[in-house]
Amino acid sequence: MKSKKASSFHEFARNTSDAWDIGDDEDEDFSSSSSSFQTLNSKVAKATAAQVLENHSKLRAKPERAQSALGDMPTNCKVIKSSSEAQLSRTSEEACVRTPLQKQQSLPLRPVIPLVARISDQNASGAPPMTVREKTRLEKFRQLLSSHNTDLDELRKCSWPGVPREVRPVTWRLLSGYLPANMERRKLTLQRKREEYFGFIQQYYDSRNEEHHQDTYRQIHIDIPRTNPLIPLFQQPLVQEIFERILFIWAIRHPASGYVQGINDLVTPFFVVFLSEYVEEDVENFDVANLSQDVLRSIEADSFWCMSKLLDGIQDNYTFAQPGIQKKVKALEELVSRIDEQVHNHFRKYEVEYLQFAFRWMNNLLMRELPLRCTIRLWDTYQSEPEGFSHFHLYVCAAFLIKWRKEILDEEDFQGLLMLLQNLPTIHWGNEEIGLLLAEAYRLKYMFADAPNHYRR
Amino acid sequence: MAQKEVLGTPPEGIHPTYPYKVVLLGSTSVGKSSLAYRYVKNDFKESLPTVGCSFFTQMLNMEVATVKLEIWDTAGQEKYQSVCHLYYRGAHAALLVYDITNKETLNRAKLWLRDLEKEFLPDEIVIALVGNKVDLAAEREVATEEGEEFARTRGLLFMETSAKSNYQVNDIFMAIARELLQREQEKARAPSPHGRSTVTLGESRVRTGCCRL
Repeated sequence: MKSKKASSFHEFARNTSDAWDIGDDEDEDFSSSSSSFQTLNSKVAKATAAQVLENHSKLRAKPERAQSALGDMPTNCKVIKSSSEAQLSRTSEEACVRTPLQKQQSLPLRPVIPLVARISDQNASGAPPMTVREKTRLEKFRQLLSSHNTDLDELRKCSWPGVPREVRPVTWRLLSGYLPANMERRKLTLQRKREEYFGFIQQYYDSRNEEHHQDTYRQIHIDIPRTNPLIPLFQQPLVQEIFERILFIWAIRHPASGYVQGINDLVTPFFVVFLSEYVEEDVENFDVANLSQDVLRSIEADSFWCMSKLLDGIQDNYTFAQPGIQKKVKALEELVSRIDEQVHNHFRKYEVEYLQFAFRWMNNLLMRELPLRCTIRLWDTYQSEPEGFSHFHLYVCAAFLIKWRKEILDEEDFQGLLMLLQNLPTIHWGNEEIGLLLAEAYRLKYMFADAPNHYRR
Repeated sequence: MAQKEVLGTPPEGIHPTYPYKVVLLGSTSVGKSSLAYRYVKNDFKESLPTVGCSFFTQMLNMEVATVKLEIWDTAGQEKYQSVCHLYYRGAHAALLVYDITNKETLNRAKLWLRDLEKEFLPDEIVIALVGNKVDLAAEREVATEEGEEFARTRGLLFMETSAKSNYQVNDIFMAIARELLQREQEKARAPSPHGRSTVTLGESRVRTGCCRL
């Protein structure tokens, strides 16, 4: 029987290989799918802990090396020190120290990124032209995508560390569950779903000016020009009309939530990714009038369906009183109080409430905190991870918060803290930062997901 | 706030600082964020719809004290109101913002007022009614007198503003600060049996007055 569970720290490291960047990720013996991320049990955790402890004792032999690594590694790893839980925390601290060690050595020199982040610039961290490793990865994707029946587990596994932009549109359609794994059914499905969407438009869109839908439409109409106001692509009337239709149809088909501000942002990554299939570069300045109507209709319908799939998983974020968000903000607070007591107490001391900054993190899935290219990279993983948007996001938020622990602890009043938390400096972020963030989030989930008592105080 | 010093007749050289929490409330897209941004940064830009809330501060040096306004800008969509509630708790002042080119937004402001009146006693909070977007005079749907009259009957401060053309934005915040200080002064005076304070607070009018300048 194939092992379905990740059974070692090595597997964990491999799963997050874009962050560590250690060796190749063609692990033929690692047969598990993304479902393994979820099912780590305590036995596995113990085995891992034991192994990490062993590694730790080896490391102890060269204390000066470990020390220097700790000195310049991402701050998020230091958090564990503040936790008083001996066993697990200690081991994970070492886990955390250990891996970036290798990462630190392979960090390339980073060129300056332009201040205005370009969404088309997927390798924002200034990665060199495609490496052999990247070519191999792309090849692997192409192979998976062109097989008669795409192995979705395998596709998730490959996508977790990031999807190459060349194959991202089709990969996203598959990962979101919109496109069937079976090659022969794809064309027909796409055709049928696209027709279905435009059927909705025909049937419902005229009702936008009727009394019972007026408020919904008005709100959408007001918000669309305010969505991504600095990117020329989104100021084109054709694009704005597409967004309006997508959001209106979604809203009236989901009366329990309807349209809530924030949902408008969620169309953007899908639209940009599906558009990128037809645009070589400079997507943010592209004039969509250059595309045929058929192509635009496909992009619109695909964006609608993929966004719908996403929202299906997080609808309680947007129903009355937004219980999903309240719950997640609470969970974030509990989690942070466990993983970084110092930051948590700092907030308490200055009367900062998590809701004051994290509401937006949940409501807009961190989209307001990150450049669009980073959101797109983040969603590669969210769509590969079971319950990525509804659950894993919580750990990403925790990792994101702890990433700024130094800056947070440096602020000595409520005002400074709020200003910082509302304007976290991520403008230069690219794939590398997101990779590290995801690795840390995965580690947190691994520690706490199957041990809820660890984060319940 | 407990640590606040009593504002009576401050001895020579003592210039106390008072922090006040001010919330911006009102319908979607009436210009709440733009007012805050204009006031704090003296600039106007296209802003994203506010999600949850955002926070700004501004220090004001008044004759008798320094006032620190902690401005909470809230989301306008009604769906968020369950959350907004958390933000206006403990507020010292509220700006009820409407858009003079959209009559419906004044009605919403009146509903906000009703909510506030449930939450606060009249002397607990300074409330200002603000008709924004006077730069769009051609599209006006709400007459100045209408806002003014409503404010007068309900004892609210009132002003029309334009965040875009920077019209009376400073003035409304200043009027609120004066009113807050004035009340501080009254509070300080009330328990004292001795005469009146000699501190004057500019020409801030009592709260039934309209403060259009």
